[in-house]
Amino acid sequence: MKLFLTLLAFLLPSAALAQNQVALTSEVLVERTTTDASGVARVSLEAPGVVTPGDRLVFVLSYRNNGTAPASDFVVSNPIPDSVSFDGAESPGAVYSIDGGRTWGALAALSVRNADGSSRPATLADVNSVQWRLAQPISAGSGGELRFRGIVK
Amino acid sequence: MRDLRLMPGCGFAKRESRLRLRCMAASALAAGTLCAAQAAHAAGTPAGTIINNSATATYDLPSGGQDSVTSNIVSLTVDELLDVSVASTDGGDVATFPGAANQVLTFRVTNAGNGNESFVLTALDTVGGDDFNPSATSIVIDSNGSGVYDPGLDSVYVAGANNPLLAPDASVLIFVLSSIPAGATDGQRGRVDLVAVAATGSGAPGTTFAGQGQGGGDAVVGATGADAEDDGFYAVSAASVAFVKSADVVDPFGGATRVPGSIITYRLVASVSGSGSLANLRIADAIPAGSSFRAGTITLEGAPLSDAADADAGEYTGSGVAVRLGTVAAGAARTVTFQVAID
Repeated sequence: MKLFLTLLAFLLPSAALAQNQVALTSEVLVERTTTDASGVARVSLEAPGVVTPGDRLVFVLSYRNNGTAPASDFVVSNPIPDSVSFDGAESPGAVYSIDGGRTWGALAALSVRNADGSSRPATLADVNSVQWRLAQPISAGSGGELRFRGIVK
Repeated sequence: MRDLRLMPGCGFAKRESRLRLRCMAASALAAGTLCAAQAAHAAGTPAGTIINNSATATYDLPSGGQDSVTSNIVSLTVDELLDVSVASTDGGDVATFPGAANQVLTFRVTNAGNGNESFVLTALDTVGGDDFNPSATSIVIDSNGSGVYDPGLDSVYVAGANNPLLAPDASVLIFVLSSIPAGATDGQRGRVDLVAVAATGSGAPGTTFAGQGQGGGDAVVGATGADAEDDGFYAVSAASVAFVKSADVVDPFGGATRVPGSIITYRLVASVSGSGSLANLRIADAIPAGSSFRAGTITLEGAPLSDAADADAGEYTGSGVAVRLGTVAAGAARTVTFQVAID
């Protein structure tokens, strides 16, 4: 029991939270489509028990200002995992990177250089990092959620 | 390469080692290059791959400093998707004849899933959509990878004992050998289906086999139901050939009497009937006793052939005339003429 408590104290993020005024948590949900007896398809988001190639994932980033003063210039970045193909940001205001976060821009502003030296417009699948820059400071005690989608390669 | 294939056991050993290598590659998930290579497969991310996600944020503090925060890491394990496809590679009906044994249909079985998987094979010979039921006598794996059925070299399939183990996206040729009933008649078709089912399990897409996936996760039935089949057809081609020989006689006096010096023009017509075609059809006709071959008189379809045994299709053998007609389709005929003089 003592060991358990020690482990629990070690695992609990409270120590980490104390250092940060803003808390950030990441969650991944999988989109499931079920068809009921009357043939109506319903799409639901579930905790991913099982994922297989082709599954649609929704990544949810939650932030909350636990401090007593506003936090400004909040910039959150999420590299897309290797085995996931980026499928678009659900939350507005995202910028994208196709070079691992060195440069950022709207998708239309990004281009991919082909092996033969020519270039083509970047597509969603080229995106390997997504970022949001909040225009307004996060006031004390408030928070929000940012979402983007991906498909298991 | 061809010589290697002919050596018993050599090709088979190669195949085994290839499979073993693939298994090692799939289990060595820590090796980044191997993972990247496998991720490029159409079957998708290999089973057992772990997807980690985390985000980082920076923000300015009221005091003027900057702070950064990293989120928790969410880990997902990619489970094994069970998918398979079967496709006939014959490109059409396989020609056969009544009473024939060991007639070969060829199928390609592909692991469309994302993990190493064995497949159970079944040949169904009593199916509809045909005119007769072939009797499927064995299923043979193209174990030496030659692409064709090599009797004695390829492994005969025994369910459960040598289920083909395929890496993601890998495929193997499977031969179904059948006997054709003696009563089948010209133009009739007989169908045999090859079924491949994932050994881990099959069923409705989404069916989950907990803990049975490669890499420790679950195995999940994919869109194919992990159960696929395709049909192959035999077509009875009872082509037969009929030879008709006729003779025109011209005597030295302009008449048609058979006297010494009369010239006989023999006309041989080979007609192929039924369906399909006959390969390597030949005409050989001996020069009758009491007559002599007249040099330079052989023709095929009206075109002259030399007497020598050379590149053209016919020759005078010293005792007769031989002409090679090649492959002749049903409904076609070939005409050969030559002359002799009565001694």
